[in-house]
Amino acid sequence: MGNSVLGDLSSQLRVAFHRVQDWAYPDQVDRGTFRAFMKTPHDVGGEPDPPALFEDKEEEQWELNTFVTCEVLGWRGIWTSEERRRIGNVDLGRTNYLGLPYYGRWLWAIARCLVDKRHITLGELIERVGEVRDRYAGGINGPLDAAPRTTGNTDAVARNHHHVDAIGKGDPQCFADTAGTPGFAVGDAVLVRELPTIFYTRTQEYLRGASGTVAKVSYESLAPEDEAFDREDQESEWFYIVRFRMADLWTAYTGPPNDTLQAEISERWLRPAV
Amino acid sequence: MTGNHTHQHAGTAPMVEEVTDFEVLEIALRELAIEKGLFTAEDHRRYTEHVEQLEPAAGSRFVAKAWLDPEFRRLALDDAIAASREMGVDWLHPTGFGTPSDFTAFEVLEDTPTLHHVIVCTLCSCYPRPILGMSPEWYRTPNYRRRIVRWPRQVLAEFGLYLPEDVEVRVEDSNSKHRFMVLPVRPDGTEGWSEEQLTEIVTRDCLIGVALPKPGVTANAVRPVHPAIRPVTSD
Repeated sequence: MGNSVLGDLSSQLRVAFHRVQDWAYPDQVDRGTFRAFMKTPHDVGGEPDPPALFEDKEEEQWELNTFVTCEVLGWRGIWTSEERRRIGNVDLGRTNYLGLPYYGRWLWAIARCLVDKRHITLGELIERVGEVRDRYAGGINGPLDAAPRTTGNTDAVARNHHHVDAIGKGDPQCFADTAGTPGFAVGDAVLVRELPTIFYTRTQEYLRGASGTVAKVSYESLAPEDEAFDREDQESEWFYIVRFRMADLWTAYTGPPNDTLQAEISERWLRPAV
Repeated sequence: MTGNHTHQHAGTAPMVEEVTDFEVLEIALRELAIEKGLFTAEDHRRYTEHVEQLEPAAGSRFVAKAWLDPEFRRLALDDAIAASREMGVDWLHPTGFGTPSDFTAFEVLEDTPTLHHVIVCTLCSCYPRPILGMSPEWYRTPNYRRRIVRWPRQVLAEFGLYLPEDVEVRVEDSNSKHRFMVLPVRPDGTEGWSEEQLTEIVTRDCLIGVALPKPGVTANAVRPVHPAIRPVTSD
């Protein structure tokens, strides 16, 4: 309860967005409704929420194991972290995004990636989950840990280029000198484009249509829209840290007029501000 | 964990601990990944060791040194990756290209008497793990991420940080590959202090920007801690 409503459920009762029928007819979905359905659930910046008690949390062993597995899958070229973010923060849908524990979603992402990329079949996963459950059916009487039966042939696995190309350089340094001349310079006034959201982005909804000033020409990299879908074949582009005035982002911003916000945006999302 | 784990619930018989659905799924996936050759058990062990040695103290020492050494401060602001290396933090570790989720672009945000930075990632929970360790739970919550970009002064006040109007609040939404850390203003009352003394007052919360360093304050504000069923063991 700490992270949402301070235990006060009655203040959270509200008029439901209610439809008497599932699957609205096409003519019943207007632009605003369509946009709401398509909004990526990870993009929460600016959503109203009452004050909360900010809590700490002890980490479960499985949470650390899950985090490490995700990172090792990146280390060994099974995915990039951007694919993990797309699968675990967006693909799973709003209900699961807000309902599952934080690392529960990381775990979901591992499962989804391994099946989607044909490293395992869904049948294998289902059988193994059933087997592990049976192993501990009588409760936990001993070590709780993975017990792989064999060690697979690591050479026979399809992996990305990135995990080799970036060695000794880092990421985004591995993309240096691949995107030509930056289109913008520090001090340039830029406008964030109002492109539609489909499946994934890292350009927040609250910045769309806003004007700001380039504060830093950051680096070259694949755009998140490509990296999240394992499109190593695509061209890299420049990224910029853009500074916005809070008063330009939020109607009726309650702070002083000189408060600001910065975010890092890829070139495709920016246009010169007129 | 070993042994027969039971715990007594008030007024009931001892309960045998049940494995959770998350634990089962985690074990199943790790077993399959190793059996298929996606990575080795040794990879997993080595990366776990890397994670377990991360701590915010590296960031605290970084700031204390920047307060004392103008040359290091300049390096920290120009090339924070190189400055980290001087402090014993190599952003290319442990894979040779950095950690997959933290990348290797690091920027230090310099506070002044009229500018205060605070960090968030509204899209997930991007955080400079190589220098600050794992992020606190509250930093990851939708609540913090929703509100800090729109009502920053109110949220900072909830952390006990009240900023005057002549201080510009600058929220850094770390939504891409850069990771950020705040370099706070060295507080009054620390004249003549050693690097060790200064390091102690640079808490993790100061490095995120939800607190300011203060002589005498050497720990983050005390918050409720949600306990784990089977917490991380360091054996």
